[in-house]
Amino acid sequence: MALDGLLANLALGLSVAATMQNLMWCLMGAVIGTAVGVLPGVGPVATMALLLPVTYVLPADGALIMLAGIYYGAQYGGSTTAILVNLPGESSSVVTTLDGYQMARQGRAGPALAIAAIGSFFAGCVATILIAAAAPPLTRLAQQFAPADYFSLMVLGLVFSIVLARGSIIKAFGMVFLGMLLGLVGTDVNTGNLRFTFGISDLFDGLGFVPLAMGIFGIAEIIANLTNPERRDLVSSKVSNLWPSREDFRRSRGPILRGTILGSVLGLLPGGGAVLGSFSAYTLEKKVSKTPEKFGTGMIEGVAGPESANNAAAQTSFIPMLTLGIPSNAVMAMMIGGMMIHGIIPGPQVMEQRPGLFWGMIVSMWFGNLMLIILNLPMIGLWVRLLLVPYRLLAIAVLFFCCIGVYSLNNSANEVLFIAGFGLLGYLLIKLDCEPAPLLLGFILGPMMEVYMRRAMLLSRGDPWVFFQRPLSFAFLVLAGILLLLVVLPAIRKGRETAFQE
Amino acid sequence: MRRREFLTMAGAAAVTSFSIPRATAQVANWPERPVRCIIPYAPGGGSDLIGRPWAEALSQTFGQQFVVENRGGAGGMIGTEAVAKAPPDGYTLLATPGATLTVLPHLRKAPYDATKFVPCGRTGDFVTGFSINAQVGPKTFAEMLDYAKKNPGKLSYGSAGLATATHLRLEMLKFKAGIDILHVPYRGSADALNDLLPNNVQMMNEINNIPHVKAGKLHLLNINDTQRHWDFPDIPTLTELGYPDSDVPIWYSIQGPPGMPQEIAEKLNAAMVKLAQTDDMKSKLRAVSASLPVQSTKQVAEFFAADSQRNADLIKAAKVKLE
Repeated sequence: MALDGLLANLALGLSVAATMQNLMWCLMGAVIGTAVGVLPGVGPVATMALLLPVTYVLPADGALIMLAGIYYGAQYGGSTTAILVNLPGESSSVVTTLDGYQMARQGRAGPALAIAAIGSFFAGCVATILIAAAAPPLTRLAQQFAPADYFSLMVLGLVFSIVLARGSIIKAFGMVFLGMLLGLVGTDVNTGNLRFTFGISDLFDGLGFVPLAMGIFGIAEIIANLTNPERRDLVSSKVSNLWPSREDFRRSRGPILRGTILGSVLGLLPGGGAVLGSFSAYTLEKKVSKTPEKFGTGMIEGVAGPESANNAAAQTSFIPMLTLGIPSNAVMAMMIGGMMIHGIIPGPQVMEQRPGLFWGMIVSMWFGNLMLIILNLPMIGLWVRLLLVPYRLLAIAVLFFCCIGVYSLNNSANEVLFIAGFGLLGYLLIKLDCEPAPLLLGFILGPMMEVYMRRAMLLSRGDPWVFFQRPLSFAFLVLAGILLLLVVLPAIRKGRETAFQE
Repeated sequence: MRRREFLTMAGAAAVTSFSIPRATAQVANWPERPVRCIIPYAPGGGSDLIGRPWAEALSQTFGQQFVVENRGGAGGMIGTEAVAKAPPDGYTLLATPGATLTVLPHLRKAPYDATKFVPCGRTGDFVTGFSINAQVGPKTFAEMLDYAKKNPGKLSYGSAGLATATHLRLEMLKFKAGIDILHVPYRGSADALNDLLPNNVQMMNEINNIPHVKAGKLHLLNINDTQRHWDFPDIPTLTELGYPDSDVPIWYSIQGPPGMPQEIAEKLNAAMVKLAQTDDMKSKLRAVSASLPVQSTKQVAEFFAADSQRNADLIKAAKVKLE
């Protein structure tokens, strides 16, 4: 790889990202993202959906820089509450609660928070360079993708989302298929037939992703929280001694490095992303540790590894979106929406046609990470105070913003009703112990898979062998098959279950 | 009883006598508040490229904002239906390609009556033609025909979707030239271009091909317009190639909802005719490869009816079905 080209690209990105305006959007995204990460129940998906119409008035590069900032900002913020109050602000911070909260109870919240931030920063820097170096060759590869390859890649993504779901595999399967069914609503691209629309014209183009995501994640989470008595045992002991000791650093070095590598790789996979990265990193740290039994009692390795991994994965998950136009998770689907608003069709051509935007966004990630570490370390006290907002007020505010957000997307009152309906469905799913993430991926990938499958079949004149004749497609399908087999094999299933119970 | 009847009548009379002058005044003073221009496609597409410069220019002319609102989906049906159901007071307009009104209703059941819209003016015609990926081999229209005849069904063509103008264009080519080309519908022309460039499909007919023609990745085979393209003076029109009455532009217009007063349409048309003659508007549309026909509302209505009839005839003759 020509180093000159890489440097030239980074210089171009720097010239875009370092303008006063774009630095401001970057900071704004990072601040909003951190706030969103701290607040449980308000995730980056809902926030980005909320801000999507707002970005219309921004220039395209500023808008995307801000949206990206929200995502990786949320990875920082999520860890703060996970450590301080045992409340994972983000699903990717769930594992951080295990050892982070224990450290906080021992009065070591400072080192835990600092290591989480430093690990995230390191991972963010590495991932930024990785995106810059790997995006061009990956994009060239992406341009070789035919419809059959896309289809098989998406099959792999869905299988991944099943493997990674917590709890019962049967339920995860069910959720994926339910999501795919919901995705079938609307107009069939190949015949123009209307499916499951019941004559409601708001459904002619399918169910909206935003009402679905907001309802199933946001509203359902609020209902579930309200049914539980508030559990907010704030750590009373003061967060003193912010800086980790030399011993802490020594113990964290390995986990940060391993977490970064693992997260970067997993972030690339469709269906992967930050959640997958943090879970795997925790498992890995436990495997390599000489004292695995101590995990869960306040081991700094259990914070450093997953926190680095989730941030690395959050950033490398931009690669499939930027190069292939495939959303590997719900947040990336939001980013695609943000690009479409500005008339940019995500896909291999973005890098060629809008190099300033592309590289500017990548370089802005590094700035964003720098801002986040500066922002987070001194402001931890403030974030904790944000949690003191009584839930009865917070819940109403969130509901209010959800309704406005959905309405402003299409000016459709029906869609506001949809979020109410999906909220109830989401609550039901929580009660039934069904994880909604596979549902959302099924919903996004299902219709895309259908389109690519039918297009591939159309182009092959109805010959299904096209999926096996193309080497890329064949490789993806084989991988998906192996994964599926692994999950079904009893021995591995047991291991997986214990891994998620931790 | 009689008293009540009288009251009702008097009331009705009062209402009517009141509302008529008010309505006239409303029409005369139009526009008194911002006007919504609904584009029935997602942002960034062809409708946007043509619609936005117009909204900007009309805002300046009338001193009221013409706000563009994208309501995409279902091949343009959702946005078009929204305008069909909007109050016909001139404050909701449709900025649309011809296909939603003159192609789609002949192929599927539309939730609106296309003939009831009130034409206000043409906003521009996209000038492009069939293009073919350079990797395939043929460089001219004749070579493409030759190739297609020797390899029936081997070429495939990406359209912006079912029942769009570019879909119908392929059906016309297949029918009139007697060749077999596979139609692959996409969700918008950008999506199709992504498959055209790596040669997954071989042909398209959209303006977003033009930059790639200039870059040498695609060959432009013809122009579907009555005149040649200013950037490609060597490329013949379909009439010149021996296919008369085939040079139908991909045309765009502003339409009022059914029942909108004709006065508003005339007022809008007068402003549009004036704007269409400015160099600013001409150069803005030329930049996106669009030409600018100037027509009165009556001419637009006639053109509309003729286009619809021609499409209906072609669909019947070529037995086009959505399946």
